[in-house]
Amino acid sequence: MRIGLVTEGGYPYVSGDAGLWCERLVRGLGQHEFDLYALSRTRQQEDEGWVPLPRQVSRVRTAPLWTAEDDGVRYGRRARRRFTECYGELAAALSGARGAEAGGVGDDTEGEAAGRGGPDHEADRFASALYGLAELARDEGGLVGALHSETAVRALERACRAPGAMREAREARVPDLLTVAAHLEHALRPLALDWYEDDGLGAADLCHTAAGGTAALPGLLARHFCDVPLLVTEYGVPLRAHYLATGADGTAPAVRALLAAFHGRLATEVYRQAAVITHGNAHTRRWQERCGADRTRLRTVHPGMDAAAFAEVGEEPEAVDADTLVWVGRVDPAKDLVSLLHAFAEVRRAEPKARLRVVGGASGPDAVAYLGHCKALAAQLFPDEAEGPHTVGDNPVSFEEIGGPEAPTLADAYASGAVTVLSSVVEGFPVGLVEAMFCGCATVSTDVGAVVEVIGGTGLVVPPRNPRALAEACVALLRDPERRARLGAAARARALELFTVEQNIAAFHGIYLEIVSRCPVRRVVLNDSGEPLPFATPAEAHVPGHWTGPVAPATPTAPAAPTAPAASRPGPAWANAASVRPSAPAPTTEAAR
Amino acid sequence: MTTPGESGHPFTPTTPQPRPASDRAEGLRPGLAPDERDRSVTAVGTQPHSASGPLSASGSDEQPRLGAGAAAGGATPDSGAASERRVPGAARRGAVDPVKALMHRHRDLCERAVDPLEIAAGLEAHGVTDRTAARFRHRDVFSLAEEMYARVSRAPEAPSAPVAADVPRMTVDQVVLSLLPGALCAAAVTGLRLTEGRTRLAVAVAGVLAVALGVRTLLRRGPLSTLGHTPAGTSTPGTRAWTYWLIAYAVLGDGLLGAAVTGGPDGLPDGTATGPWPLAVAPALALALGCAPATWAAHLFAVRARRRLAASRGLEEFAASVRPLLLAAFGLFLGALAALLAACGAVLHQPAGTAQALTLGALLLLARLLTIHGFTHAPAVALGATATVEAVAQASVFAARLPGCGPLATPVDSLVAAWGPGCVPALACGTAALALLVHATRTLSRASAHARVEGQP
Repeated sequence: MRIGLVTEGGYPYVSGDAGLWCERLVRGLGQHEFDLYALSRTRQQEDEGWVPLPRQVSRVRTAPLWTAEDDGVRYGRRARRRFTECYGELAAALSGARGAEAGGVGDDTEGEAAGRGGPDHEADRFASALYGLAELARDEGGLVGALHSETAVRALERACRAPGAMREAREARVPDLLTVAAHLEHALRPLALDWYEDDGLGAADLCHTAAGGTAALPGLLARHFCDVPLLVTEYGVPLRAHYLATGADGTAPAVRALLAAFHGRLATEVYRQAAVITHGNAHTRRWQERCGADRTRLRTVHPGMDAAAFAEVGEEPEAVDADTLVWVGRVDPAKDLVSLLHAFAEVRRAEPKARLRVVGGASGPDAVAYLGHCKALAAQLFPDEAEGPHTVGDNPVSFEEIGGPEAPTLADAYASGAVTVLSSVVEGFPVGLVEAMFCGCATVSTDVGAVVEVIGGTGLVVPPRNPRALAEACVALLRDPERRARLGAAARARALELFTVEQNIAAFHGIYLEIVSRCPVRRVVLNDSGEPLPFATPAEAHVPGHWTGPVAPATPTAPAAPTAPAASRPGPAWANAASVRPSAPAPTTEAAR
Repeated sequence: MTTPGESGHPFTPTTPQPRPASDRAEGLRPGLAPDERDRSVTAVGTQPHSASGPLSASGSDEQPRLGAGAAAGGATPDSGAASERRVPGAARRGAVDPVKALMHRHRDLCERAVDPLEIAAGLEAHGVTDRTAARFRHRDVFSLAEEMYARVSRAPEAPSAPVAADVPRMTVDQVVLSLLPGALCAAAVTGLRLTEGRTRLAVAVAGVLAVALGVRTLLRRGPLSTLGHTPAGTSTPGTRAWTYWLIAYAVLGDGLLGAAVTGGPDGLPDGTATGPWPLAVAPALALALGCAPATWAAHLFAVRARRRLAASRGLEEFAASVRPLLLAAFGLFLGALAALLAACGAVLHQPAGTAQALTLGALLLLARLLTIHGFTHAPAVALGATATVEAVAQASVFAARLPGCGPLATPVDSLVAAWGPGCVPALACGTAALALLVHATRTLSRASAHARVEGQP
């Protein structure tokens, strides 16, 4: 099966932020072919190059998102009019202005009803405008110049001043309009790419986008132009990230309102068109449902983590210091170490022999200051103590870093304590908790983020900002080694079932098969004179994977051959010759191998 | 907080509570669908009154601990004591309307939010979860955010004062840079005056190179550069060549045309204004000196336009306010250039060639203004057309010397006879400058011409 994997600032680049799971996915599914479509975020990222690619990656196409040189395409009059219409419709959909068909109606209530004809109507308007722009870009060969132009700004102004526009949009000033136009231009850059042809994403059986938002735009267009089913994987919520990013930097309300509308509508459209939408936890799921994703198409695919590093620690019976609590993570104010220290003070009252190890470094000035603050607080709360009058004392709270003599590896850090504590007040997916589960540690965590669904009853959960509850849970576990062992074993079993790389890959493999079985791409193959070729795509072409085995039948000696579509896609030679899938030119990575 | 024993916890601090949290966590069935879980949480959470739990007591010290000062003012005076040691009675604060207290704590967020989802995102970033929302008798954070969004009082927004646009100021080195071509040209002209023969040729070549380098540096930095403006348009390599040609014509062309009409030229230019092929040094010097007023005019236009941009509410309003600005900047430049021409003519005791130099300066300034605002097509066309007209005029005179081609020179001859050789470039440059001026009043009054590129990573 041929999968078009679309990433934004991610996988093939060395400095890609979400690259790891994509790489594991591509490496783990050797039976499929992957075409990578990568959008790079910065010039630096592009300069740093790619990671080594496995052989199932048959080609890589990249496009920069960080620059938009004018493509020099000048529209004729008709194209200009098309652009004005589409962009105006897009702007009207964003500002909530009434449509042109309703604007002329004198009756106010009728216009209101037509203009606000429910979310479906709005989503349709947005989608038709978006696809209109994409078709225009495809026909004319460029869009950047037009998105920069005064026409776009004028269309935005008209939409903001139209009756029915949002309150914030009505107050938009000229600089706000310019900012919105620039942001839209940036966000719509994928429309002008030449990926949506039959030799691009159109040749894929399935388009998998590794994130929502801008990265999902190519997938959306492939769905629109070539009917390629779309799988959207979101481990974060782009809409939420957008809100947090624009809310903080004092952008004008009009800009925020219009851009929020754009990202919201885009997310809705992506969710409407996607065959399957996956998420990593219930939090993301709630946002997806909120943005209109159909529940029947939502699948939870837990993030996969490498369990190998923790296998040794997790399998050996507990041989640890029974009085030690461990906190492992990156020091940050959101981790609420202060609360942890207060809780530990209570623990000490009940269990005077208890010790606390805080393992983790701080990055960034805020975090370093916070770590210093925590150390000072620990020194104040807990005086140094020694075993006898003739020994050197030590503080019951120790601050260490991974790689130090006490905790050479992460697994050792977890293994060194009887109970692992998580005291965060804000948390997304708690990676540290899963690591502790892999190590078979008994855990006490605060009820934040995805903690409850991760721990699922195999550890103790207390409310955040409640040191006393945290302390009591810790004491309960410190006093009960059997329960600790039971919980630890259950946690390890749960983590191995849910959070391994293998389950992640298996889940995606299953979803691929499900999508292809439900919405197969049916292509009509034409011969040289444009007549349809019957039986050109044989039935076995729809068999997922290489039904004849991984070795290419044509040239078993050449390792690069399986990547050529003609070889991987068994069928009669006469059909391959006229296939709609021209054999992809061997990518540079293939040639180098 | 979801079991009665736990939510009652702050009230009974001395009661030993075996496993306060484990009941809840271990009792949670993994197979429970999220919405079912929410519902069960809501159902349990509403039985003991929601405001009595530990979270509302700890609410006031949330902000300082997070390090985000967004709602630091929300801490009530007794929050310090409350955060240190929780007095059971403190949990009663705000029990009447817990959402109101929450709104007060996040009032910045509520006031700036443009839709409920923004409040939801902000609340989640502060650690509010669905289980917290259950304490406010809401199913999830989204419905809590919707209530907050609906309840926040929005004063009819006072028209926000136009933000003082961060206008770039001309630095000292930019001012010095703008004077550099003029100074170099003056030095070169002095050198020409003081030298003879081969030395003079060397001085002329060195002077031309120096002035060209000075102008090039000026166009790379400061107000005349294309940096920091709207997306740089497609580069048109012809523009530069045409510009060189026009300037060369301003120096050499009039003398050549004058000599050609009368049957000359009888020799190569010798660097004086009286030779067989006279050089027009005064206009060249004035144009080089005119780089400074051109820079200032461009700066003035950019700065003022940016201010108008920040202040205007509509595109039409902006266009209407920018057009006079463009004309004013242009007029200032023309006045300064005319003064410079008069001064140069007086100092060098030469005919200043005011008409042709003035029109050429106007043409070059407008072309540059358009280029730095991203419009490269029109300047290239205008400059190219002007240069072609001048070249054709010059060539027609020489072509008329061929047998049978005499009438070719008639238009140019009659023009030169009426107004002198300077009228050809003056007419050509003047027409092109006028066309560019009309074009510029239309294009440079667009807001998109003054948009600055976002800082690209």
